[in-house]
Amino acid sequence: MKGKKLQTLSFFLSPMIIMVGLFYLIPLIFTIYISFTKMKNWNTEKYLSEVVGFYNYQRLFHMFQHDPMIKAILLTTVIFVGITLIINVLGGLLLALGTFFVNESSASAIRLLWLLPRMSPIAVYSLVWYYFFHGSDIGTLNSILMKLGAISTPIPWGQMTPWGAWSVIIFVNGLVGVSFGMIVFTSSLNQIPKELVIAARVDGASAWQISRRILIPLTKWHFLYVLTWQFLSLLTTYPHLFLLVEWDLVNRDYGTTLALYVFNTAFGRGEQDQGLAAAAAVILSIIGILGGFVTLKVLQFERMIHEPRGDIE
Amino acid sequence: MRDVETRPRRNEWFIIAAIILVSLPLILGFFLLILSSFSEDMITNLSPSSFRPTIENWINVFQGKLAITGGIRQNILKITFNTLIVALGVSGIVTLISTLAGYSLSRMKFQGRKLMMLLLLMLHAFPGVALIVGVYLFYRLTFPQDPSMVRLYSFFYVVLARAALEIPMSVWLMKGFFDTIPWEFEWSGIIDGASRIKVWWKIMLPLIKPGILAVALFGFLAGWQDLIYVRTFLIDKTLATFIEANIEAEYSHMPLIAAAGTLYLLPTIIFFLTAQQLLLQGYSGGIKG
Repeated sequence: MKGKKLQTLSFFLSPMIIMVGLFYLIPLIFTIYISFTKMKNWNTEKYLSEVVGFYNYQRLFHMFQHDPMIKAILLTTVIFVGITLIINVLGGLLLALGTFFVNESSASAIRLLWLLPRMSPIAVYSLVWYYFFHGSDIGTLNSILMKLGAISTPIPWGQMTPWGAWSVIIFVNGLVGVSFGMIVFTSSLNQIPKELVIAARVDGASAWQISRRILIPLTKWHFLYVLTWQFLSLLTTYPHLFLLVEWDLVNRDYGTTLALYVFNTAFGRGEQDQGLAAAAAVILSIIGILGGFVTLKVLQFERMIHEPRGDIE
Repeated sequence: MRDVETRPRRNEWFIIAAIILVSLPLILGFFLLILSSFSEDMITNLSPSSFRPTIENWINVFQGKLAITGGIRQNILKITFNTLIVALGVSGIVTLISTLAGYSLSRMKFQGRKLMMLLLLMLHAFPGVALIVGVYLFYRLTFPQDPSMVRLYSFFYVVLARAALEIPMSVWLMKGFFDTIPWEFEWSGIIDGASRIKVWWKIMLPLIKPGILAVALFGFLAGWQDLIYVRTFLIDKTLATFIEANIEAEYSHMPLIAAAGTLYLLPTIIFFLTAQQLLLQGYSGGIKG
């Protein structure tokens, strides 16, 4: 019986385990290994076996202290993650609360509209904002402001450092992340017993009072969940930044976060330095793994995982 | 209707108006892109005079005539087909693996089950894109010797690597769908002497069709929208890398790129119009314990 169960389990689970092993575990080990080699320009034959110890890490920390470009990138990472996080969490909460108080069909339409940034192909999404923030007079923002008479010549928004570039990347990524908070908060609001809202309504409470006194206090767990999840995701993802930088819509230094720096150092134009990129990736991974671990502990996910009670045997 | 009937009506319109106002840049941006693809000049500058309707851009896109002046041609149908292969591949693998793993995590007791689910959550929280340097080294080390196989292998690899990113979330999503099925269905099969694999295949899968569809849809969109993995691993072009390469090229005609972008956006729009409930359900299903 025992052997049979093992067989069944491996039938169901082995494809997933193999995928996780191949594309998470092995790459993690490889990334750590590369960070200790002199790997450059993907010249595996020459550099793969050339182990240099902590050289890349030393270089990285030296750059953290002295290289103005890396300093700009680190500052950008902090500002970008911080402000986008606030926009994502509060924006998601406001949208969820807003759609809670309107009729079902309008609410669905609004939710779909805000899913659009996450669901559109990244290249198209970037293209939309490329035209919107374009530094010439074909840029939508520029032409609106010029028509209103607020500015007389087009402004290259993304090239104004640092706040112009920061505003563009925060805006573009803020819209993508809002939908996550919106969906999570919507589902948490739907789990709140209707009686509470009905009782408050009968007592004459307004939408604002209901939100403030009932809905928001009851979504505390989801609030923490969105906050921590979105933090990790903003720290480690870069696809929605990549084209904005590559197309020169935003300034290279003040439009690049650490995660994008890893990618561009390993795969970008010019000389590629995978050893350095891997070292930066390892530092990001450590933050990510620690953050993920703390998140799981704080949110107490393990309590939510129930045994499958119906399983006979 | 989630709020109760006693709520005042006028508030509703105020809230809707406020949300639309905030959404304006989003609506405007996508609208101008789509409209520009039917115009001789980009109309992103909002002046009505630059809107001269034409379908020339679309004809040129399908003929692969990129440059207005030069003779550079690209086979856009082939490029679209490549994008489709990646999307379908990712969707297929994600669906298969998550229906398998989701079932056993939802229905079977075994040691390490809890740990496995927590680990999956952590992988979901920690996006694998940070590991791309390692994923690429693995790609290089497994490169086929035979040069004629290289292009095929790059498709194979990009599909697997991209699918792996979606697996933690889809397994949780699928587990959630299996959790909603009452145990009685399963017991009846097991008591009749069927194996778990047979129960999964014959009883559970037909009951879980909407879930499978949702996961397949998400997998498809993930593969379809991808840029980073495709440009890193795939030798052939997809719509994403096509747009990436052409926006900065001096010879590219902007409305033409707008047409290519609109073409690329089409599946997303189609899913939006046909599968709204599935999309909204799927997104909220993934986060339930």
